[in-house]
Amino acid sequence: MEQEHSTASPVLIYHLRGVVKTREAKGSAFRLVVPSLQIALGEKIALIGQSGCGKSTLLDILALILRPTESAAFRFRPEPGASPLDISKYWKGKKLNWLGDLRKQRMGYVMQTGGLLPYLSVRENMTLSRRLLGMRDDGTVDSLAKALGIHRHMERLPGLLSVGERQRVAIARALAHRPSIVIADEPTAPLDPISAKKIMAIFMELVEQMNITVIVASHDWKHIQRLGLRRLAHHTHQKQDGAITETTVTG
Amino acid sequence: MPVKRIFDVLRLALRDYSHEWEMSGCFVLALAAVLAPMMVLFGLKVGVVGSMVEGLVEEPRNREVRAVGSGHFGPDWFQAMRERPDVAFVVPRTRSLAATIQLKSRTARRILPVELIPSGEGDPLLSRGSRIPTQPTEIVLSDSAARRLKVKAGDKVDGSLARRFQGRNERVHVELTVIAVARPAAFSREGAFAAPALVVAAEDFRDGRAATEFGWEGQASPEGPRTFPGFRLYARSIYDVAALRDSLTAEGMDVRTQAGDIDRVQSMERNLTAVFWTIAVIGLLGFSFSLGASLWANVDRKRRELSVLRLVGFRTGDIVWFPVLQALFTALLGWGVASLVYLGVEQSINRMLASQLQQGQSVCLLLPEHFMVAVVFTVGSAVVAAGLGGFRAARIEPSDGLREI
Repeated sequence: MEQEHSTASPVLIYHLRGVVKTREAKGSAFRLVVPSLQIALGEKIALIGQSGCGKSTLLDILALILRPTESAAFRFRPEPGASPLDISKYWKGKKLNWLGDLRKQRMGYVMQTGGLLPYLSVRENMTLSRRLLGMRDDGTVDSLAKALGIHRHMERLPGLLSVGERQRVAIARALAHRPSIVIADEPTAPLDPISAKKIMAIFMELVEQMNITVIVASHDWKHIQRLGLRRLAHHTHQKQDGAITETTVTG
Repeated sequence: MPVKRIFDVLRLALRDYSHEWEMSGCFVLALAAVLAPMMVLFGLKVGVVGSMVEGLVEEPRNREVRAVGSGHFGPDWFQAMRERPDVAFVVPRTRSLAATIQLKSRTARRILPVELIPSGEGDPLLSRGSRIPTQPTEIVLSDSAARRLKVKAGDKVDGSLARRFQGRNERVHVELTVIAVARPAAFSREGAFAAPALVVAAEDFRDGRAATEFGWEGQASPEGPRTFPGFRLYARSIYDVAALRDSLTAEGMDVRTQAGDIDRVQSMERNLTAVFWTIAVIGLLGFSFSLGASLWANVDRKRRELSVLRLVGFRTGDIVWFPVLQALFTALLGWGVASLVYLGVEQSINRMLASQLQQGQSVCLLLPEHFMVAVVFTVGSAVVAAGLGGFRAARIEPSDGLREI
């Protein structure tokens, strides 16, 4: 990672400029502003902040599941050798299926809770993306399960697992098809601090091994400070008598 | 949509459906609970109205057009009648006094005078599949005549005719073969269905003319085409009777029909059908709405799971298939359960009322095509409702669905 930073121009996976998302609710509005954001391939990014500050909004935009209100530039490079894709063009063209295909092939997503299909066994949940992509079993799933300590539960339904175990399964599913990037929204929030620390450490080790870019949102910097993540700067302030909450993220 | 993706969606939809078997079972039962009574209602409509109409149609007497008094009907007239599309059967009738014959069998002592009924191919009074007298010496006896003569199909009887000719009493005999016995409802009196040739010969003999076919002597027949005083005429269906009557009346004939009875039953059928349809339309609307509402609600309940599927990369179009397929399972299973319930109810209703029914009649009856209509309607409503719900679920941004609690 140090090496990547030292190169003259790192290969960027994300390049955002002037991206804005406005959400309006009764009497109040929320605005996320990203003047500039560049994430290099293989980087490990941390997005730290209290809940409600717009972390999830940014993650959803990066995960291509939330359409930005405005974007001057939004480029995403699916793999090292490829040229960057203009995501704002696909949003404007309403190419949702195309974005879905991109997500299926290149992305993994770990949700704060759940996100597992209750009717599929742990193994089937983990292999879901691989199956959709028609990838053959090459032992990745089993070694991930072993690394995350869930190999004993492979044939069970998620409903029978503890919350911590479910989060491990969710992490395994996000990694199983060897995506270019994994986005995790507070993956350890529902866990006790000790398990949280342990799972986060395994998670970071795995993405490093598999050379996957990762973006993790968390409200607790202390936990992940020592794992070598780059922290995105952001600040939140209220405008116009508190009617609009605006968060600015740069990095 | 390639086969693999269809299979992926189908597999996941099935897994979800069976995983939630309790919920799925509730949907199936809810559907069957509304559909089964509808099917019973329809079965009753088809059965009751059907057997009523069938009785009306089956009874040939209802299709008969009788002439009052006698006329002069020549071969041209009969030919013209035969060619009419609304006429099923027409045959000339001789003077009724001359259309009798005395029969004597070896097994009964009495000589029995019977009416000769001109018959032929397609005679509505003789049931389908029964033999028709085509040869001059063949007859079909009415049930009562056969019983009085103690004969059965295949027996021979002696027919005799008497006349007073040139001051002398004469009697001729002819051996007739009973080729069949008509069903009791065909003709209640003593009668013999015969080929027109025999009936005509009997009249000729009585009139003192020769009937060469049978070797009966007499005066030569007058020149020119023969005319008949009457006819046996049957409309093709009960619905043609009124029109046929009107057209014959327009020709100046006085005719009698069962048109009045037919009208009454038909208007009753119409009213009954209207009542049934009113209930049915209300029921079907309720059925569609309840099915639609439950499937719509189900899609809403599954929004988060559907969003997860989109997150892993399922396309919008595939997502819509998910609830649609599950609705299809519900529709097919619900229809199956409803059909079973219906068949049970049908059996018990028909058994309950069996004593008041004729053989082969049923009060409650659905034909295979009715079951098909039910399944098509059910599947159609289910797919539309779930499709609309699924489309709504697919249209929201995946991130919105994910964050719902």
